[in-house]
Amino acid sequence: MNDLEFERLLKITRLRLDDLEKKAIQKDIEEVIGYFENISEISTEGEEKAHHPIKVDARLREDGILGFEDVEMLKRQSKLHDGYIVGPKL
Amino acid sequence: MKIGLEVHVALPTKSKLFCSCSMEDSDNPNSNICPICMGFPGSKPMLNEAAVRSALGISNALYCKINRKISFVRKVYFYPDLPKCYQITQMEESIGKEGYLELENKKVRIRRVQIEEDPAQIVRKGMLTLLDFNRSGTPLVEIVTEPDISTEEELREFIANLRSMLYYLGVDINKEMKADLNISVGETRVEIKNVTGIKSLIEATRFEVERQTEAIKNNEKIERETRGYNEKSRATESMREKETDEEYGYIYESDLSTFDISEMKHADPVYINKIAAELAGDSEVNPKTIREITMLNRSALAMIYRFRNRYRVRSIIHGIQRFEKYSDSTMKEEDSDRIEKLVKLIDEGKDISREIAEDIIAGKEVKVEYSDVSVEEIEKMVRKFLDENPGVLEEYKRNKKTVNLIIREISSKNNLHPKEVAAGAAAVLKSIAG
Amino acid sequence: MKSYINEFLGMEKPTDYYSGLLSDIEKLNKEHHFITTLNKDISYEKDGRLPFTVKANICVKGFETTAGSKMLRGYLPPFNATVVDKINASGRFSFLGETNMDEFGFGTFGLNTEVPARNAFDNDYVAGGSSSGAAVATAMLKYHVAIAESTGGSIATPAALNGVVGFTPTYGAVSRYGLIDYANSLDKIGVMARCAEDAKVAFDTIRGRDRYDTTCSVETIGNKKRKKLFVIKELMEKAEEPVKSAFERLLDRLGGNYEISEIDSKIMDKAIAPYYIIAMAEASTNLAKYDGYKYGFQNEDTNRKYNDFFTDARINFGAEAKRRIILGTFIRSESVKDKYYSKATQVRGMIIREMRSILEEGFIISPALPIATPKIENASKLTPTQNYAMDIFTVPPNLGGFPHITFPYEYHDGLPLGAQLVTGHANDYALFDFVSEWEELFEYRFRHNLGEI
Repeated sequence: MNDLEFERLLKITRLRLDDLEKKAIQKDIEEVIGYFENISEISTEGEEKAHHPIKVDARLREDGILGFEDVEMLKRQSKLHDGYIVGPKL
Repeated sequence: MKIGLEVHVALPTKSKLFCSCSMEDSDNPNSNICPICMGFPGSKPMLNEAAVRSALGISNALYCKINRKISFVRKVYFYPDLPKCYQITQMEESIGKEGYLELENKKVRIRRVQIEEDPAQIVRKGMLTLLDFNRSGTPLVEIVTEPDISTEEELREFIANLRSMLYYLGVDINKEMKADLNISVGETRVEIKNVTGIKSLIEATRFEVERQTEAIKNNEKIERETRGYNEKSRATESMREKETDEEYGYIYESDLSTFDISEMKHADPVYINKIAAELAGDSEVNPKTIREITMLNRSALAMIYRFRNRYRVRSIIHGIQRFEKYSDSTMKEEDSDRIEKLVKLIDEGKDISREIAEDIIAGKEVKVEYSDVSVEEIEKMVRKFLDENPGVLEEYKRNKKTVNLIIREISSKNNLHPKEVAAGAAAVLKSIAG
Repeated sequence: MKSYINEFLGMEKPTDYYSGLLSDIEKLNKEHHFITTLNKDISYEKDGRLPFTVKANICVKGFETTAGSKMLRGYLPPFNATVVDKINASGRFSFLGETNMDEFGFGTFGLNTEVPARNAFDNDYVAGGSSSGAAVATAMLKYHVAIAESTGGSIATPAALNGVVGFTPTYGAVSRYGLIDYANSLDKIGVMARCAEDAKVAFDTIRGRDRYDTTCSVETIGNKKRKKLFVIKELMEKAEEPVKSAFERLLDRLGGNYEISEIDSKIMDKAIAPYYIIAMAEASTNLAKYDGYKYGFQNEDTNRKYNDFFTDARINFGAEAKRRIILGTFIRSESVKDKYYSKATQVRGMIIREMRSILEEGFIISPALPIATPKIENASKLTPTQNYAMDIFTVPPNLGGFPHITFPYEYHDGLPLGAQLVTGHANDYALFDFVSEWEELFEYRFRHNLGEI
């Protein structure tokens, strides 16, 4: 992985590393990606993708209202202003 | 010129897309919230059946191929309004694909109809970014078109037809329509993101088309870019770099699964253009008039259907038109009794004054009685009319339907019952023209 | 059949039972760091039930739940995980606390967190991860069950290294609602106990369909007896001494009751790469939400532009979390997604198919780890891929969502060795019966018996 690609990934993951960390992690990542390359040897032609290990008997939710019992506790986790949650500057 | 749209429409449900929080408007910010629509760690989505059903109806109405099995993906990007920093949306296994919406002279192809969640609402107050999660998790469909629209008129027509279709499927069209546009006058495609409201959509298109046309005329290069629309300055302007698919890194949403919707029932579409053309065909009314009245009014359409065997369609249309004009409102279900009174009189050929019509609309008892005239008197009137209008008799000899004109003229001028006039006219015409 | 739960419930307990237990735990916790949040309000009068702990990635309303991450320091969940509600509703267990873990479950040895848990037998040795604290707690406390969680081996490995029973159910048998996600298509909440019977009781308490978790749809659990034990040759080749010889001695002891055969698999030994690809791809999306203003760590500087604000906050992730976010994001990139992520899901399908057909015939048995318990100083020197290679036995059943159980079978230099038994989807009960049988032949050893009456 070249420096440019690594920097691009740091930018889109919103991660900042100091130089030491950067060096170590970049090296680790190269090692792991090399390891991942192994799966290219496995022929998967015509194989279905298994998004789950088992077939999920998925059900839809009936459209009904059920309020959450502790809205105040949800809000209390963050900085508040007039009932709004304060986020970072745009 | 090529214009493509990505239109976002809120689906009519009681609860949110992935949780049971109420969709009702609330005056208090962050009151209809729970761990799911706030994306708290460990919370998981539960897919709302009504949202899927509604999106299925829309896909069907757009002649889409329906995916029997639908699934969702995560679209990752960082923005303060997005609670999980990924949006649950659809890609390959979206509910509908490859459909179209019909305009007068062309079909606008639909690439995809997908279900997705709306982020939270951002309110700016001074330096502060304030977040209201009541909106977070609102069920949306995104309708993605191919770039098949080539003029502003077509764009208007597309929006009008789409709105009518959505209206008849139960979507609340009073909620503002949000869309992304892509416009290319020449070779280069420019995207305009987050345009809110139809007015802005039209204006943004107009501005951008002019901007690009001007640039081409001056041999300037058009950047392939993402722009925003500034409602105040009524101009499109370059905006922050948006992520590309490379960065979104879509993967299967494995907190949900693949849902088999092949047995799901949905509402049938109403295509007002077709209905208007049919009704106009046997009623001598301009289809445009029927369209205007019924496009966004199911009570009006119901009224036409209910009374079409009792009265002429044109009488019903005129009745509704006069009601809406004098009452300065669109007709509602509960107006239909009063409108019927108008329609009946119109259908009988009565000439109703504005005052009488307004009395009827106000629900006052209005008696419109016919003059009591003998058969001989009526026959005299017919003969007199024919003498005064010699062309009419000639016309009648060519086209027997001209009798309707004679009946209408005489009955309305003399306040006579059209049936009695018809009998008199028939007798006179028989003796003169055979 | 031995059951500490039944023994405890049938006993006369001292009224200060819990206060004694709490002070013992606090003392030992200073060396072993297995508990991260202790419920100091627990009392005999109020509770009087069997203590249970949950791994620190399972939400308990009002109790600090950090998933081992600085990112979630101070986070008090406003809701209970479904498993916690179910345990509370059973009326048999009392919440004692939350157990230490690798940050977000990212680790084989429990070392990827600020203060790692240490092995219950000897604190120079690793506890195993990622449910490190759950295993240590189970080996420390006499009357207790632990609710733990496994993505790729996070129950089996620490259970084996601390000599307790570790059970990972069929994917979708236990609700994940309220489990702080690592990889949604792989995460399974399971249990640890000091005997198979207690693990079964705990499993029955927490399992069952849940409308809050769409993927939790396995309702019926079977108990198909198997008489055959399969050893996978390509996996066994990775086992080192003393594990290799010890495991052969185990097979000898089981030979009387079971037909044991070694079989080939050309695909099960390929499971680690697709496992880590899927796990990291999913993890990198799950960790996006930690951005410093909604819960847990609060970045006070809301005047910062949002991208800088997020980046400042996300500095709190540990090194392994950062590695996995970057790797996971890379393999999701549109241009390489097919090559890694999509391909990995296909390989997963192939592995499931092969294992399913083997498991129709019998159990798959193996050591839990290819090596004996390493010292902390040695384990911390391993490179990422050396670390991942330790998961050779635990990854295949986890990738395929197959139920598996770990049980101790020998003690080497005073430390336990654990074996792993795998069965087919939704045949979980067969595992408890197998281990209960084994317990007739085997004497468990523990260094501590906190809470002994």
